[in-house]
Amino acid sequence: MKGKWRWEKRETSSKTVTILVPIFSCVVGLLFAGIFIWVSGKNPLLVYGLMVEGALGSAYGISETVVKAIPLMLTGLAVSLAFRMQLWNIGAEGQFYMGAFGATWAALTFPDWPAYLLLPTMLMLGFVAGGIWGLLPAIPRAYFKVNETITTLLMNYIAILWVDYFVFGPWKDPKGMNFPLTAPFSEGALLPAFGTSRIHVGLILALLIAAIFYYVLQYTKWGFEIRVSGESPRAAHYAGMNHKRNILLVMLISGGIAGIAGMTEVSAITQRLQHGISPGYGYTAIIIAWLARLHPLAIVFVSFLFGGLLVGGFSIQTSGFPAATVAMLQGAILFFVVGGEIFTQYRLTWGGKGER
Amino acid sequence: MQKPHSREDLSYMVEMIGITKRFPGIVANDQISFAVRPGEIHALLGENGAGKSTLMSILTGLYRPDEGEIRLRGQQVHLQSPRDAVQRGIGMVHQHFKLVNSFTVAENILLGLQDGTGEVYQLHEINKKIEACSREYGLQLDPQAKIWQLSVGEQQRAEIIKLLYRGADLLILDEPTAVLTPQEATELYKTLRRMAELGKSVIVISHKLSEVLEHTDAITVLRSGRSVGTVATSGTSEQELTQMMVGRMLCPVLDKANVMPGKPVLTLENVTALGDRGLPALKEVTLTVNGGEILGIAGVAGNGQKELAEVIAGLRAIESGTKWINSVDHTGDTPQAAIHAGVSYIPEDRLGTGLVPNLNAVENILLKMYQKMPGWRINWSQAARDTTAIIKQHDIKIAHLDAPVKMLSGGNLQKLLLGREIFHHPELIVAMYPMRGLDIGAIETIRKLLLEVRAAGKGVLLISEELDELTCMADRIAVFHEGMVMGVVRPQEVTIETIGVMMAGKRMAVAMSGN
Amino acid sequence: MNKFKRGIALLLSFLLVAAIALTGCGGNQTTGDDKSKDVGNQQKLKVAFVYVGPVGDAGWSHSHDQGRKYLEKEMPNVETTYVESVPEGADAERVLTELASKGNKIIFATSFGYMDPVIKVAQKFPDVVFMHATGFKTAPNVGTYFGREYQARYLSGIAAGKQTQTNVLGYVAAFPIPEVVRGINAFTLGVRSVNPNATVKVVWTNTWYNPATEKDAAKSLLDSGADVIAMHQDTPAPMQAAEEKGKFAVGYHTDMSSFAPKAVLTGPVWNWGPYYVKTVKAVMDKTWTNEQYWGPMADKIIDIAPFGPMVGDEAKALIMKKRDAIDKGEWDVFTGPIKDQLGTVRVAEGQKMTDQEMLSFDWFVQGVEGMISK
Repeated sequence: MKGKWRWEKRETSSKTVTILVPIFSCVVGLLFAGIFIWVSGKNPLLVYGLMVEGALGSAYGISETVVKAIPLMLTGLAVSLAFRMQLWNIGAEGQFYMGAFGATWAALTFPDWPAYLLLPTMLMLGFVAGGIWGLLPAIPRAYFKVNETITTLLMNYIAILWVDYFVFGPWKDPKGMNFPLTAPFSEGALLPAFGTSRIHVGLILALLIAAIFYYVLQYTKWGFEIRVSGESPRAAHYAGMNHKRNILLVMLISGGIAGIAGMTEVSAITQRLQHGISPGYGYTAIIIAWLARLHPLAIVFVSFLFGGLLVGGFSIQTSGFPAATVAMLQGAILFFVVGGEIFTQYRLTWGGKGER
Repeated sequence: MQKPHSREDLSYMVEMIGITKRFPGIVANDQISFAVRPGEIHALLGENGAGKSTLMSILTGLYRPDEGEIRLRGQQVHLQSPRDAVQRGIGMVHQHFKLVNSFTVAENILLGLQDGTGEVYQLHEINKKIEACSREYGLQLDPQAKIWQLSVGEQQRAEIIKLLYRGADLLILDEPTAVLTPQEATELYKTLRRMAELGKSVIVISHKLSEVLEHTDAITVLRSGRSVGTVATSGTSEQELTQMMVGRMLCPVLDKANVMPGKPVLTLENVTALGDRGLPALKEVTLTVNGGEILGIAGVAGNGQKELAEVIAGLRAIESGTKWINSVDHTGDTPQAAIHAGVSYIPEDRLGTGLVPNLNAVENILLKMYQKMPGWRINWSQAARDTTAIIKQHDIKIAHLDAPVKMLSGGNLQKLLLGREIFHHPELIVAMYPMRGLDIGAIETIRKLLLEVRAAGKGVLLISEELDELTCMADRIAVFHEGMVMGVVRPQEVTIETIGVMMAGKRMAVAMSGN
Repeated sequence: MNKFKRGIALLLSFLLVAAIALTGCGGNQTTGDDKSKDVGNQQKLKVAFVYVGPVGDAGWSHSHDQGRKYLEKEMPNVETTYVESVPEGADAERVLTELASKGNKIIFATSFGYMDPVIKVAQKFPDVVFMHATGFKTAPNVGTYFGREYQARYLSGIAAGKQTQTNVLGYVAAFPIPEVVRGINAFTLGVRSVNPNATVKVVWTNTWYNPATEKDAAKSLLDSGADVIAMHQDTPAPMQAAEEKGKFAVGYHTDMSSFAPKAVLTGPVWNWGPYYVKTVKAVMDKTWTNEQYWGPMADKIIDIAPFGPMVGDEAKALIMKKRDAIDKGEWDVFTGPIKDQLGTVRVAEGQKMTDQEMLSFDWFVQGVEGMISK
């Protein structure tokens, strides 16, 4: 019998398929990376075990996983809000930097303010600075249909260099021996942490934003408009929705949330602004949003997963595994998850080469 | 009118015999037969959705027919793929050119040639060949020019040269003059004629009657997936073609109540609006829809109907003129303001504009209701109640409220859409091709619903391609041609032929006296 | 729709729990293994290293890892671990904490950006000794260490100054921090000690580790007339750029001649091993103090790489002579008179810059073409 494998479009995307495919993809990614670990003479189960142990095996590990998850969660929420409206905001990295910048400005300008004044100011400025960075590419997008993917991406470089200019220049710590750091923040500019851990109030902020995000999309008129606009801009126009206004608003808020991520990171973790504060949170956020299928509550969960992956990645090194192991593992998982996407829309069938 | 085909007949370049193609729920091509001779320019005429595209997609190897056969130069062929069709000398110029803008003409031609054989092409030889090709057919074009530097007409030439270069004997052009200036169009037909003289066959898909009459040798008219017939261009007229296109249908017995027309619900006065290409698509249109009345809009598709509907729904800006709804000036309305003024619009594109395919029924019902809810929250339970009511009222077959509406059949989709639009008792319904593509049962339901709106004393603006449909349903019919109103007639006072003449561009007075 | 998404979240969380449970078991097993190993090596002192880059980069982190290997070889009763590619932000604190809590008694943190995290973590682990390279903050259990690389820079400058034909030299530099500025200045002084007309053009890359950027920077310098490329980066890419153009180069960190044999004249090379052995021994003997060690070339912590075949005997002799003077403490690089870019005398004749001044260098000496943002 003559036959061949064929892709067949699924009539409907079944619920189980949409859930199982990413999970299955993760497993395949682990298996795939496991082969490489095994070939290089190490036991993949040992590596994975050590990762989980590092990330979740101790109170400290868990707390650090949470610390890592906070900026991922916030930036993940930021981009997924924009993605919901099919606005491809690749600029969370830059918005993160600008948020950190705005917050730092407040921290350095009003070092004597008490925390109850300074922290809200920093939060607001972080939101505004990040929001403006999101809004700038939204304006040409709304009025001249300029592709926001490119503009938001390019704005990242501007933001990073902008922050570099300040930490290498005007804001350089006079006591810092000319190193690219601002002076340490005053007591009032530091977000409180829980107990002795580094888990800070940013977690509550992130969870709150996730909950609000979920509520807004599900239960408010504006959230409904975002969902419709994302599904079909023509229908949104037809139904009398103000598409342009929504583009501007969504990008403002998306950038603002990424800005809050930047604010919490400088205020709680680095406690000063410095060169290279984000190891690519804004980009990892895109993957997280994708994996979570833009669902705010799923983002919370996936962020913890990624936090664990990153934290666990460093801890396996102490057992003699090179850092590249983790990079490969992360790459493999993402590759399979994104690649596996096709299975949610198509199914592979074996069939004769007949007329359809 | 239909020429019989015999198996020995080698005088045809291509013959399509008894072609049938079905898509889920729709018969796109129903036993269509169609033949083109070498040296002939053959027009394929028909309304949107008449089956032209499907038929040509079959001829270019994109679809395979469910029934029927294709013969090329007398030989039966089974086209496996578009590539297969190209290799057999069939080429098509699509409405949207398939050229790479940053490449030169020569590079674009080269692109399609690469077959994965690893053959190395000599660009200067290609250039020479292209130049020879251009000279032979009178297609002036610099092979070194980048596509983006060319005018639309020149880009079209590049497409044609691409086909000729690949040895096409049968060229299909989809609405080739839609994007051209009149001069360019004349130029194009000169070229096509030259190609025909050199023994090639040309099929032109069009619905511009005057152009087709002027430049082609034979015309095949399709309607509702069937072939109405083929006529020699020299022996036909615009009127005959119009009639063939819009057809005749028996007027069903309608329960059409006697309603006294009320006050004007909608009045347009000298309204001019631009089309998507930035050219005037509505020119000085003046018309009125009264309460308790169905105003039909007749016209060949693309003569301003869509723009008219969008202007009324606030989706398209009015350049000049005035729009009144219930005697209030609504000229500058946003879509939202139009909705609030009581205008309901059933768009041509039901799934995508009127309804969101991936959202469920409740969410789609909500689309036009959420703004009427108080506060900033969505009242989901009310939306669900309304949805259930609409589904029940119109007997919509739906498996689950949570399922995306794209799973619904065409008839149920339209009932859901119309059900939503009349749920809040609008002042005016603008319905664009509301019956197109539906089965008889659904058509009956939609008709009944529209008549109910009329009976309730509200206004209905019904845009349709089917003249019989209009004469049955409408109280008055405004005939459109090139964005202008040729006249407003009462169906019982004129013949369908008169309306056909008006659709072809004659003013009412001329049409009445001429016949 | 909503139910369905809630479903996803639920299922995913269930799966995670299952995964944790499963792999958690595996993890326990492995710690069991570790423990048994620990029992066997109970006497071993655990020493950890934190690197900012990958160990295989032939650069800064590589040089420290060579030192780690030397330490393991010299002291069999020491067990070492390392963590590479640790960013200087939020991650450093966690990695340091983890290493300290896993029983490491000495932790070498080898990048400047680890300074604040080291101080913070050191407070939590008072009986662990932290050694921070290149930094300036100390605590009772935190010392700093570095080498006077500028001395080797100066010597390599002599070789470069003798080699140049165009009297233009290029310098691919990472960040305008004192360490890098100091190196550029020392190099320039070395160049101009034998070739007073030469100038050193500086290009900032704003990256420690990015072969492509570094190579592009070197190319731009070569295109603007430079015929010797020096660098303060973590990859040999600038050397390779010089080799491709048939020009010369001065390496850094390790002997880079194998990457560009026809180009590399010499270059400062690190030799951390003996220092690591010394420090670990001091901790074991309880003689360790939280000193700020800045080792001169005489200690061999910093040296210059073997000369390439193109380096002339005259240059070699000159270098040896200067080296001798430096090693004997008779003379040091930043001895006046030293003028800045504007020609102002910044260090008067006969004066020597203090360590404090050198550690916060924020100006260029005469002969440097480039800017430090302020």
